[in-house]
Amino acid sequence: MSLRFSVMSRWFIALGLCAVVAQGQETNQADKVSQQLRQMQERFEQQQREMRESFERMLREQQAQIEALKRQIAGLPTNAPVVATTTNAAPSGVATADEMKELKGRVDSVIEAQKKVKPSEFNPSIGLVGETIFSYRSQGSNDTGSDRPGGFDVNQRSVELNVAAAVDPFAKGYAVVNASADSATGEATLGVEEVALQTTSLPWNLELKAGRFFGEFGRLGYIHDHELPFVNRPLVLANYIGGESRTDGLQVNWLLPTAHYVSLTLGLGDQFGGDVAPNNPGSSRLFSEVNYFGRASTYFDLTPNWQFETGLSGLINPRTSDRGGVFVQPNGVSTMTEKERRLAGLDFKLSYIPLRNNQFQSLVWGTEVLYSDGSYLVDPDGTPASGDEFMHDVGSFGLYTYLTYKWHRQWSAGTLYEWMQSAQNSSDVTSAYSAYLTWAISHWNQLRLQYTHTDHEADSGLRPDDAIYLQWAWIIGAHSHGWQQR
Amino acid sequence: MTSRITCFLSAAMAAVLACAPLPASAAKIRIVTTLTDLADFSRAVGGNQVEVFSLATGIEDTHGVPMKPSFIPLLNRADLLVSVGFGCEHAFLPALIEASKNPRIQAGRQGYVDCSPGIAPLSVPKSTDHSEGDVHPYGNPHYMLDPVLAKVAVGHICDALEAQAPEHAAEFRANRDAYFAKLDAKISEWRELAKPLKGLAFISYHEEWDYFAERFGMKVFGTIELKPGIDPTPRHIEQVISGMKAEHVPIVVREPQFPEKVPKLIAQQTGATLVKLPIMPGGVPHTDTYIEMMDFILHTLVATQTKAG
Repeated sequence: MSLRFSVMSRWFIALGLCAVVAQGQETNQADKVSQQLRQMQERFEQQQREMRESFERMLREQQAQIEALKRQIAGLPTNAPVVATTTNAAPSGVATADEMKELKGRVDSVIEAQKKVKPSEFNPSIGLVGETIFSYRSQGSNDTGSDRPGGFDVNQRSVELNVAAAVDPFAKGYAVVNASADSATGEATLGVEEVALQTTSLPWNLELKAGRFFGEFGRLGYIHDHELPFVNRPLVLANYIGGESRTDGLQVNWLLPTAHYVSLTLGLGDQFGGDVAPNNPGSSRLFSEVNYFGRASTYFDLTPNWQFETGLSGLINPRTSDRGGVFVQPNGVSTMTEKERRLAGLDFKLSYIPLRNNQFQSLVWGTEVLYSDGSYLVDPDGTPASGDEFMHDVGSFGLYTYLTYKWHRQWSAGTLYEWMQSAQNSSDVTSAYSAYLTWAISHWNQLRLQYTHTDHEADSGLRPDDAIYLQWAWIIGAHSHGWQQR
Repeated sequence: MTSRITCFLSAAMAAVLACAPLPASAAKIRIVTTLTDLADFSRAVGGNQVEVFSLATGIEDTHGVPMKPSFIPLLNRADLLVSVGFGCEHAFLPALIEASKNPRIQAGRQGYVDCSPGIAPLSVPKSTDHSEGDVHPYGNPHYMLDPVLAKVAVGHICDALEAQAPEHAAEFRANRDAYFAKLDAKISEWRELAKPLKGLAFISYHEEWDYFAERFGMKVFGTIELKPGIDPTPRHIEQVISGMKAEHVPIVVREPQFPEKVPKLIAQQTGATLVKLPIMPGGVPHTDTYIEMMDFILHTLVATQTKAG
């Protein structure tokens, strides 16, 4: 027993010693690693210091070089040649054309070197838009049909990230990612508004765009919310198109090779409208289930200061299954389901934009009239396949017209009138009028105050509504939606 | 219904045919310039071989020429697009070029003529942050108001024309040299004329006059704009007025594209003389060419100085 105890004790002692030695070795290794890390960090910091000093020295030298060269150029006689191509002979003591060429070459190289460190040279260009809407509405959402609550509301409508750059010599790419707050949960939902490739050098005046983008239909359908001339998207665009003219598809634009501006666009996409789901997301999709759209537009210079732009648009989706879902009718029983979608639009814009002070004064009158001719399957008892269903065409008109006057670089005001028959029921009429005042503090920071009164048809179950909005939109970084959104 | 559609299509076809391409001048080089000074130079160098159109008429803001769709067919058919560069036209030119669908004039291609290479820019910003206003990352782009630097633009236009039509290179060079000779003579005259302006301070609405002031020995005291592209605040106007009074600044320059109200107020408050000066040919009457414009600017300033002093 004592022998066994003794053997075990020895083993324990041996193990203990091993552990102590091992721990000692680990401690030594940890110290070594830590020392190496310290050395590496010191070396890294030293290199950083050296690089910074070298960069700053280079910048100082370049700046001094520029100043010296500027002084030399400034000291030349009046008619001394600046470009190397000038053939005048230089008087004695004055730089010759060759010397000037050399000097200019050096200046140019310094300037080019400086350009390369400008943030604007980053590729791609990136910008961010923020847009917050403060509002007070006299009626609750049940009485307005809006997804925003009545009373006081703050809506973080968009946080829009824009990224754009040339893909290669033949195309450019851009993306617009938007996050907006959900009215029920307050959570921001991130969505891709646009991500598309656009060709830049196709022959025959053609341009192809593919991906997710705002398709060309009408005048304001493809304008982003924060760039609208008023706070909200016109009712008729929201009801007939479904918000922005967003589509997943492709479009071809053709600029007619004529002396007069005429632009034709044709496109197709598996959905059309930012607020609706794709058509028929089943196992397969027929070509008849795709949306086809197009627009023809032209422009006239009435005088140097007065301009007139007009366009015709069309959209057809020959076969839809449940776009927008099932519409329950006001009686609460019967339902309608869209089976074919046809949409036509006429728009024009008359503008007074004085050449001399166009940044400070302008008058714009814009109008868009839409005609919706949808085919619906009506189910009177609301019970599918009960045998009483029938097809019914609904033809509805809607329009908006606005007038905006700008009298100062920062200030403009306008009025908007809207009238619309519901796309599902032409006797359900909604009208609204608004007045708005815009204060553009700068090009990137804008406040807009708007009053809107909305009237609904009594049968709709909705009630007249008064609303006051304060919109605050701002931009950081690069921002341009290009020609289409000019 | 069918007959209606036929009528509509016929009318549409007729409209398209009515817009058929203009016959004209297939042999001529089509030049579109952003500003009128560049158009003047292009005509001087190109002579009979070119057809020139300027997007600006002369009275616009150089940074804010309205983007008219009627420019698009012109740009679509252009052989050369001549621009000031340094981001001067950043607010309107990129979108117009994109919409033109003309590969020849896309940035970086042979038909895209940027006149700024060779110019040492003034006021290159340390930061392109918007807290400094609508700054030009490459520096002040208004070098065209310095006639010596304007010669650089003439040289670039000549180079581009030579590349475009080498068979006419000798003619373009002769035209350029003739224009240089004319301009050099005028520069000597302007230098002489501007001697009384040496050291004279002035303010302007926008920072358009830095190169001009440096060339003719004048001093830019400040701008009415708070920052480039940002309207003045009441406090800034007060500071400008008190500063001008303290330094006895005798001239307020107003460019034609800016409203008169604030410059007039500042001139009244300080006793300075308000003068309206063009920033490109056509900005005020009788300034159809670059030389006429520079004549107008210098004679107006000298007359103002003589009257004031």
